[in-house]
Amino acid sequence: MSRVAEEVLGAEGVSFSYGPAPALSNVSLSVAKGECLAILGANGSGKSTLLKLLDGLIFPSAGCVFFEGRPITEEALKGEFLVRLRSGLGFLFPEPDVQLFCPTVFDELAFGPLQLGLGAEEAAKRAGDLLRMLGIEALRDRPPYSLSGGEKKKVAIASVLAINPGVLLLDEPTNGLDPRSQVWLYELLLSLRGHGKTVIIATHDLSLAGDLSERVLVLDESHAVAADGPAGEILKDKGLLLKANIIHEHEHRHGDVVHRHSHGPFSTHDEHD
Amino acid sequence: MAEVILPEWLKGREEAPASLRAGSAGFIERSLVNFASTMKRLYVDGDYSSKKGALQAIEPRAKLAGFFFIIIAASLAHSAVFLGGVLVLAFALSFVSRIGPGPLAKRTFPAFVFTSVIVIPVIFGAVTPGREVLDVFGASVTGEGLRSAGFFLVRVAAMVSTAMLLSLTTREADFFRGLGRFVPSFFATALFLTFRYAFVLIKTAEDSALAMKARTIAGARAVESRTWFAGRAALLLKKAYGVAEEVGMAMVSRGFDGKLKGAAARALRGRDYIWLGFASFVLFLSFGA
Repeated sequence: MSRVAEEVLGAEGVSFSYGPAPALSNVSLSVAKGECLAILGANGSGKSTLLKLLDGLIFPSAGCVFFEGRPITEEALKGEFLVRLRSGLGFLFPEPDVQLFCPTVFDELAFGPLQLGLGAEEAAKRAGDLLRMLGIEALRDRPPYSLSGGEKKKVAIASVLAINPGVLLLDEPTNGLDPRSQVWLYELLLSLRGHGKTVIIATHDLSLAGDLSERVLVLDESHAVAADGPAGEILKDKGLLLKANIIHEHEHRHGDVVHRHSHGPFSTHDEHD
Repeated sequence: MAEVILPEWLKGREEAPASLRAGSAGFIERSLVNFASTMKRLYVDGDYSSKKGALQAIEPRAKLAGFFFIIIAASLAHSAVFLGGVLVLAFALSFVSRIGPGPLAKRTFPAFVFTSVIVIPVIFGAVTPGREVLDVFGASVTGEGLRSAGFFLVRVAAMVSTAMLLSLTTREADFFRGLGRFVPSFFATALFLTFRYAFVLIKTAEDSALAMKARTIAGARAVESRTWFAGRAALLLKKAYGVAEEVGMAMVSRGFDGKLKGAAARALRGRDYIWLGFASFVLFLSFGA
């Protein structure tokens, strides 16, 4: 199967189910090098499953996933292709407690580089650089489980960056972050994008999707692609977002005036009854 | 979006029935909360491993091997005097490690109490025949039984205090790193992950107990508590399975291919060899004790 020349990740007619429950249905997409794609969808729409499929952590029951034009299958994931894929893709899990399994923060940051055979000296250098970059040097010898939620998230992000992947797969990256940390994450991702990284974000955070991504893919509640297009167009399509259960409307009163408005990018009080 | 219609009873605030009396937490909830807090106190609280003490300065591999020799010695010895000596040694080492006897005794005590309970039958003539020294409600307590129970308690105290001293003076990371040099790294990693995620599950169990407490006014009946506990146990099992699967994925996504690669350990120094020599000497002494 021939793929687009600059495509770094792609999926063709991918379906996946957890037992009898479908998680993804006939999903196709193509992500070009350096692109930033936001995957939007309600809870249970299949965003996390799609990211895991793209990272070769699970395999589709139908269809195929591609990395740099090569199919990601259990048989293909070995040798040089496995190393290329693991060093090329960085996956951020939504729950930092899952991602942080090493005894100390330093070990956590050195884990990826060591597994990819970069050597102890290079692993230590990368860990040190990331600790400095994120301003978490004081946490170097702390066990990750003893950190606060925001600190855990920072360490989890650093543990992914330590591999220096070309593609970042971020599953709910703003989950559990306070507003200041969300701004910090946004600026970090902006800077990474500026240096040519491909970023794929599964999120509910419409402002993050709007500010960072040039393209948005919407998964609906039937686990299929409801839309895939420029962020500016998709995020303005109120009907689509309402149908996919990404935004909702609510009603409240100011004296005798009843306001009916939606949350998210349409949260203005100009939709009076 | 459709308007939400509240049921009538939800629109007002009603007082609890006068007949309802506040109850206390049940045995199971109390046990769970106490177990969680004991685990945290024993294994997480108190950062003695980062103090600049004599044992903290020893390389983890050497420290682990030395403590292993001493624990083996305590398990082989047949002399109460020797075992008493190991106990005294452990407390003496707690001083030079800037821990002091208090924290060490606090961590040894639960095992001592538990062992005391399980050796009770040993003191009776029915289990250990011998010269009767006391009569307790018709059951004879023998001198031989008391000696056996006392000897067993000293052995447990010596071994547990030595093991606790190792855990207090060694950072968790260094302990598992050191262990990984002696056993296949896969086993050390599996052991570490078990230890690490036990706390995640304990936290879940603790939160479940608090959630139940938040919705319980009158105390729960024993049967309700048992049902609740069985439900929570099932949830924890399911959660443990889910966490294990996700952690596996998180490791694979960062390059883990079944063989754990770590940084090289530092070379042993003079003090490490002295410690190993001393521990070996204790082991040697145990053969004649």
